[in-house]
Amino acid sequence: MTTATAHPVAVRRTRRRSPGLGRVLLRRLAHAAVVVAGVVCLTFVIARQLPGDEAVTAAGARATPEQLAAARERLGLDDPLPLQLWHYVSGLARGDLGTSLHTRQPVVSDLGRALPASLELVGSAMVLAVLIGLPLGVIAARFARRRTDLAVRTGSMLLVSVPVFWLALAVQLLLSTKLGWFPVAGEYDRVLDSTSPLTVYTNITAFDALITGNWPILLSTLHHLVLPALVVAAYPTGVVAQMTRAALIEESQQDHVRMERALGFRPLEILLRFSLRPAISPVLTLLALIFAYTLVNSVLVEAIFNWPGIGTYTADAIRSVDTPAIAGVTLVIALVYVTANLAVDLTQIAIDPRTRKS
Amino acid sequence: MSTTLPIPARRRLRRLAGQDLPTLLAAVALLIVVAAALLAPLVAPYPADGTTATHPAASLLGPSGAHWMGTDAVGRDILTRVMYGARTSLFIAAAVLVLSSTVGVLLGCVAGYSGGWVSDVIMRVTDVFLAFPALLLSLALAVILRPGVGTAIIAIAATWWPWYARLACSAASTIRHRAYIDSARCLGLPRWRIVAEHVLPNSLTPVIVQLSLDAGGVILTAAALSYLGLGAVEPTSEWGLMVQQGQSSFTTEWWIVTFPGLAILLTAFSFNMLGEGLRQALDPRKVAR
Amino acid sequence: MKRMWTLLAGVLATTLALTACAGTTRAPSSAGSTFTYAFHLNVVTEWDPAVSYSNESIAMANLYESLTRYDAAAKKVEPLLATSWTKSADGRRWTFTLRDDVTFHTGRKLDSTAVKESIERTKKLAGGAAYIWDPVSSIETPDPTTVVFDLAYPVALDLVASSGYGAYVYDTQAAGTGDLAAWFKKAKDAGTGPYTVDTWTAGAETELRLKAYDDYWGGWTDQQYRAVEFRVTPEVTTAWQLLQRDDVSFVDRLTPQIFEQATTTKGVGTSETSSFQNLLALYNTASGPMADIRVRRAIQMLTDTKAIISALHGAAAPADGLIPPGLIGEGDASVKPDATVAKKLLADAGYDAGHPLRLSLTYAQGDKDQGLYVTLLGSALKAAGVQLDARPMQWDAQWTRGKSADPSQRQDIFVMYWYPDYADPLSWFANLFKSAKDPYFNLAYLEDASVDASVASLPKETAIAPAQAARSYLDLQRRIVVDDAAVTPLYLIKYQRAYSADFTGYVDNPAYPNVVFVHDLRTK
Repeated sequence: MTTATAHPVAVRRTRRRSPGLGRVLLRRLAHAAVVVAGVVCLTFVIARQLPGDEAVTAAGARATPEQLAAARERLGLDDPLPLQLWHYVSGLARGDLGTSLHTRQPVVSDLGRALPASLELVGSAMVLAVLIGLPLGVIAARFARRRTDLAVRTGSMLLVSVPVFWLALAVQLLLSTKLGWFPVAGEYDRVLDSTSPLTVYTNITAFDALITGNWPILLSTLHHLVLPALVVAAYPTGVVAQMTRAALIEESQQDHVRMERALGFRPLEILLRFSLRPAISPVLTLLALIFAYTLVNSVLVEAIFNWPGIGTYTADAIRSVDTPAIAGVTLVIALVYVTANLAVDLTQIAIDPRTRKS
Repeated sequence: MSTTLPIPARRRLRRLAGQDLPTLLAAVALLIVVAAALLAPLVAPYPADGTTATHPAASLLGPSGAHWMGTDAVGRDILTRVMYGARTSLFIAAAVLVLSSTVGVLLGCVAGYSGGWVSDVIMRVTDVFLAFPALLLSLALAVILRPGVGTAIIAIAATWWPWYARLACSAASTIRHRAYIDSARCLGLPRWRIVAEHVLPNSLTPVIVQLSLDAGGVILTAAALSYLGLGAVEPTSEWGLMVQQGQSSFTTEWWIVTFPGLAILLTAFSFNMLGEGLRQALDPRKVAR
Repeated sequence: MKRMWTLLAGVLATTLALTACAGTTRAPSSAGSTFTYAFHLNVVTEWDPAVSYSNESIAMANLYESLTRYDAAAKKVEPLLATSWTKSADGRRWTFTLRDDVTFHTGRKLDSTAVKESIERTKKLAGGAAYIWDPVSSIETPDPTTVVFDLAYPVALDLVASSGYGAYVYDTQAAGTGDLAAWFKKAKDAGTGPYTVDTWTAGAETELRLKAYDDYWGGWTDQQYRAVEFRVTPEVTTAWQLLQRDDVSFVDRLTPQIFEQATTTKGVGTSETSSFQNLLALYNTASGPMADIRVRRAIQMLTDTKAIISALHGAAAPADGLIPPGLIGEGDASVKPDATVAKKLLADAGYDAGHPLRLSLTYAQGDKDQGLYVTLLGSALKAAGVQLDARPMQWDAQWTRGKSADPSQRQDIFVMYWYPDYADPLSWFANLFKSAKDPYFNLAYLEDASVDASVASLPKETAIAPAQAARSYLDLQRRIVVDDAAVTPLYLIKYQRAYSADFTGYVDNPAYPNVVFVHDLRTK
């Protein structure tokens, strides 16, 4: 998945030609709208082509041919494709992603419950990635081409290259089963539901526990969060360390560094006081994109830790060929990704006028 | 291919080999993986176990002199299957990269050279594909198709080609207005010959760098698909599939999961390390480093 | 940093928009001793007891009750809501006497009208396992504690009434004048069982909580669990670790190795029971290469069920015939593996190195045990020069292919589990081997007039002359497995459970797969 690091930067370098803030914004929004329309069409095709037959599932395993036909009729599966696409799009407009075949609940309400849990996990992982990856990158840049640099480069590349599902299994076996340092699985200790019940506002458990002052559940959630967050953080940590290192080394070849050196600043000081700020900006914008990738990677991790997020939901949906659920997850994550991309571009255009030109 | 590498690049390659230890080690590790893949039928301890043979009486044996990495649930030698798994993974990686770079570079060259609405249409389509994180789209596509190595290849290639289209497009569009292209056009050369003879070769260097960077990612994605049951199927030896099969007995038989996982890590790591090294050596923008 | 904050704010806003903004408290209404069941799948897919036909039976069996219950250990039908029953000499009229001290969770008293209404509603909806009531032509209620069933043809109705699916008695007036199906959809129950629904959160880890029904006719003691919790735990290793930490009380499924470990772990109880669920390889007797009985015999002889069972390390028991031990008509109807004879049969059928045989097989995607069989079979066939094209499929797709109108689209070998809805072997024969114009579950496509004749006469025979029925069933099995070579019963699933040593009284009743009757347990 190293492509995630290399490409988005290239993406942004090739775009942007016309000057003028208003026109740039319009162009960018129109572009995003076209992409969203394409994404919707593509998920529709995927949803229609998936082998799970909604009618069979809806009518039950021992349904008669007549019951099956009635179910197909009711679900509109025999309508012509353009009409089906219209139903799909108008459903989307009403916030209707269909009904999941494995939970028998509206996909929207399933996602409303699963997405916050994933944001909690992936969000913590991203914070960890910045807290660990950034200093690693700085250290590597400070000692560029020496042994420390070598160690950081190798280490971060290992983090980027490790199969997360395997890492999750290994970490779970070692740190919780064998050593007993962390809980095996779950979001928090369910016994607490009876001793200190949680009031839910956002479905992000740690956040809700924090704002309602529910310390037992907050502590338990954080304790449960450590292992999965560390595993999910592996990839973004490696990417952040690599990007920070590369950006800092590139920055250190700028003229101002030579001047600062001449003025007698020590190398680490130069890095932190003068180079970090300009170098860090592309790294931080990348975070938004890595976030979407990491969200998908959680499909491979959450089920192992029984984390009730979108990853577990998707893994279950794959197992039961749950057409509406898979299409719904695909659409929502793609939309998150497009929005993140758009937000990054727009803020960049607003903050840094240079990016408006080529 | 060598003609596309300018001389300084060769020199840089040599310098790379001499100085950059991790890259060198990665190259050696990769050579070992490739050798294991190619020679598996000759050097694997139980070659038949790599394909169809089973030995139910010898199932779930721990690592020993006879089975260095133990045996799986139907008594197959894990070491043999890890070696055969290298064949599968390298084959998938090669097929995906060839397929996606061919499609991507062709479309990208056409888009970059033509400009105008042709370019707009092609690039908007790539934008739509790029709006999906790679694993997500592969996953959705793999669910549609019948599980197997071929499916994994198609599903991954479908999410990888847009990157190449984009690279080729930008490379092609930068040379579109160069003088020699104009003169070729004045000489009355047909469009496809200009694309084939001038545009295509010029977009190759960034594509080659990208190919080496992508191999690790493809291997990880393929393993992930197989782990989810959407990629390779029995009796194919595949690392992700082996991890999935051993997962439920990981606490009691650790070896079934551990060794294939290490193989994925080692291979992906070597490709990524080598790709980074190549990029630094070949990418002219990074000379200063 | 600014754009990070913008992003973060955006993400938070999306979250808030996606979730209900009103705070709701995730609190169970009953505290105290809780029985926690770690189940490997989502629990509830259907709340309507009339059409419920899936995983939720593990919860339903604690919410609802039927007229009778089958005791698999004693091979006897026991009273439950009915205290006693009689049948007429021709087996076509059954009279059940009801308990008079039972109330539904809705407060209504159980009487014969309630029983009649719920069975008639189940029949009318015709979903799930409603077909079990097909023989019933009319139900009469001469007095509040007497229900009389008139049958179109004789069956053992006491067995039918013990079914784990479709036989629940429920309050059809629970929704008042409203729509009962819609009422059930809101996660409500209208049963007579010891527990009632407390909270249900689809997709959550703790999916379902049940609480005690105080007025339960069976009464309550201090040593019983007052609450039941179902926790969805797909990974076996996770479930096992949760049990060891006493976070859960019961795990329904383990790997054989973990089960082995569990038997020697302090504070953990285990139970191992042979089930009524067997894995079958159905051979295509109508079209393709297996229409030749020599090929079918050869494949039967190349199938080493002992090797499969040994590779399953104790998760499976030998299946000597189609009917599992514990049901009427069990006995040996098996084919001994013999690779030499198999090769000769294949050569006789005209297959050799020059004309290799290719067979297609379909099985359940994601089922590791079936995968193991397929791997072993593929390996054995390869050694005999036969190419096996095995395809893991989702059930819908696998079944649709099996039912194809065009015989050339159908598979040669269809692998699936089968188990009866109530403790009676007829289910295997009537569904799987009776000839039919369009295939449904008869995926061996068998057309054997003598099999059809037996299947038609067996229900009556079972109801009137059980001993003779047992002999007929054994003959029928031999006819299908040995003479017709239409199927290989591969193995019987062995239920391996592990549970906390905090309680006693657990009995694994294979007639109700995976169900724990929590009210029967006693805490220490």
